[in-house]
Amino acid sequence: MSLNSPGLLRATYAFAAAALLTLIVLVAVSFWLLQKTTNSTEEVLRAREQRTVLARLLSTVQDAETGQRGYLITGEERYLAPYRDAIKEVAPRLDDVREKFLGDSEAEANVRKIADAIADKLKELALTVELKQESKSDEAMAIVRSDRGKADMDLIRRLVSSQGDAVEGHLTDSIRDQESNAVLARWFTVGAGVVILLAAIGAAATILRYTRELLGARSEMEFLNTGLETRVKERTADLQRANDEIQRFAYIVSHDLRAPLVNVMGYTAELEAGLGTLTALCDDPKLDELASGVAARAAIREDLPESIGFIRTSTQKMDGLIKAILKLSREGQRVLRPEAVDLQEFFESAVAAVQHRVSEAGGEVEIVRPMPTIESDRLALEQVFGNLIDNAVKYTASDRKLRLSIRQRPSQWGAVLIEIEDNGRGIAAEDGERVFDLFRRAGVQDKQGEGIGLAHVRTLVRRLGGEIIMNSELGKGTTFRVMLPRKLPEKRNER
Amino acid sequence: MSDNEGKAVQIVMIEDDAGHARLIEKNIRRAGVNNDIMAFANGTEALAFLFGQNGSGECSSRKHLLVLLDLNLPDMTGVSILEKIKANVHTKRTPVVVLTTTDDEREIQRCYDLGANVYITKPVDYENFANAIRQLGLFFSVIQVPETK
Repeated sequence: MSLNSPGLLRATYAFAAAALLTLIVLVAVSFWLLQKTTNSTEEVLRAREQRTVLARLLSTVQDAETGQRGYLITGEERYLAPYRDAIKEVAPRLDDVREKFLGDSEAEANVRKIADAIADKLKELALTVELKQESKSDEAMAIVRSDRGKADMDLIRRLVSSQGDAVEGHLTDSIRDQESNAVLARWFTVGAGVVILLAAIGAAATILRYTRELLGARSEMEFLNTGLETRVKERTADLQRANDEIQRFAYIVSHDLRAPLVNVMGYTAELEAGLGTLTALCDDPKLDELASGVAARAAIREDLPESIGFIRTSTQKMDGLIKAILKLSREGQRVLRPEAVDLQEFFESAVAAVQHRVSEAGGEVEIVRPMPTIESDRLALEQVFGNLIDNAVKYTASDRKLRLSIRQRPSQWGAVLIEIEDNGRGIAAEDGERVFDLFRRAGVQDKQGEGIGLAHVRTLVRRLGGEIIMNSELGKGTTFRVMLPRKLPEKRNER
Repeated sequence: MSDNEGKAVQIVMIEDDAGHARLIEKNIRRAGVNNDIMAFANGTEALAFLFGQNGSGECSSRKHLLVLLDLNLPDMTGVSILEKIKANVHTKRTPVVVLTTTDDEREIQRCYDLGANVYITKPVDYENFANAIRQLGLFFSVIQVPETK
């Protein structure tokens, strides 16, 4: 599987980060360009205003000169009105100009020159007008003819014109700036747009790839899962088959073992019957007359019954063992019938069955509440716990009275854990596993038993889908822990 | 066992275990049954006796037979013998007593399905075994065995 989600996630994050960064830069640059454009626009407006005030100043000065010339030529007072108006306006116009060029040192210098030139011109105008008023027309005309006024005027025109050119230059620059800003903004926006688009495409592609891989991985996993389930089913079926075979094998073997045993027992009985006849013969006094009579009597009275006795006990023992195997094997083949079993009631009746034996020995059995209700095979449970309780009652320690405690323990995975603790004789650690084996017993052999109880219990518990473990200390007591599923697994009965 | 029109009932015992065969015979005798007992240790010989060399079964016609059958035989299963007996026109009315160690429910059902008349599980301890055979002998002494065709 080539699914590398951290790498893909990193790529997605990188694309998103790139897009975000580009967007931030775009906004910043746009803002900067906007600022620049605003500045340029202000420049343009200012240049226009500058041009206007310069033009107005020049026109006012020209008005004044026109008025002066009219008066000088005609001598009529009415020409003096425009002159006077113009003279009055020159100062504010000049102030306007100064104000508009404020901050531009070069322009300020120029404006000062313009102001000086205008002051000169105004002096010349004022002088000529005064002379005329004093009726010294000739003198006034002389001043005019001296071209002083014209020179002043030319100077003013030149200065204004040059300043106007400078302003025009600024204006052009500003407009060019504006245009270049617009171009720059356009290109930058396009560029940023492309970058963002690429990042978005990249991110989308990564996510798509990731999703595709995820889907692929999921279907692969589903496939594997199905395969796994099938494999588990196959293995379970195999195990079930093997288990069934062992059960059948045990069944057949034990049956076939018993057939010859019937013969051994049958002919032992026949021998005994025959021996009966012979024993009757022993009482016959005529036997003493025979040479081998004494030996024959000894054989009939002692040796033969002894031999027959040994044959009988051995075959009976063997029969018992074969019966045990048959029982186990038959138990394994029995179909389990799950039903709801209230363990509280269940243990009460199980304890009631041994109560008289317990009371006789002065012992005590305690069932700790609460007990759960489980769904299982009642008969199998009765055999399991019957055996365990019976063992506890049977194998008590000689120096103390029985104290048996049955309780539920916390458990996991929908299982129920029942603990059966006694203060009996206990089992040595080295015998811990042996006691679960068929025909094996442990400790002092002072009680009747075939050694099949715990083997049977373990087989049953496992058939019920559970497990049994034992903790024991020799001379202290034994604790059995039986783990059972709350619900009998359904496949247990499938054969 | 009562004689039908002067013809004695023959007991055909098919049992591979010689010891069992002898014990069965002894205990049947103890029940007072003195009929002829033909013992066969394997299926082949028993089938040869029942159906003759040609396998037709004509040799068994007009006889009174009772078959005592063990299911576990060395050369074939008792079930197939039972099947053959019940399928043959001459022997199909012959009572068959299955006497075997198997107590498997399905096996018992199968035998009765195939037409077995009695199914007895051999008790595996001698006392019960002897007792059962003696009772079987008593049973033999009262039942009517039809003539084969």
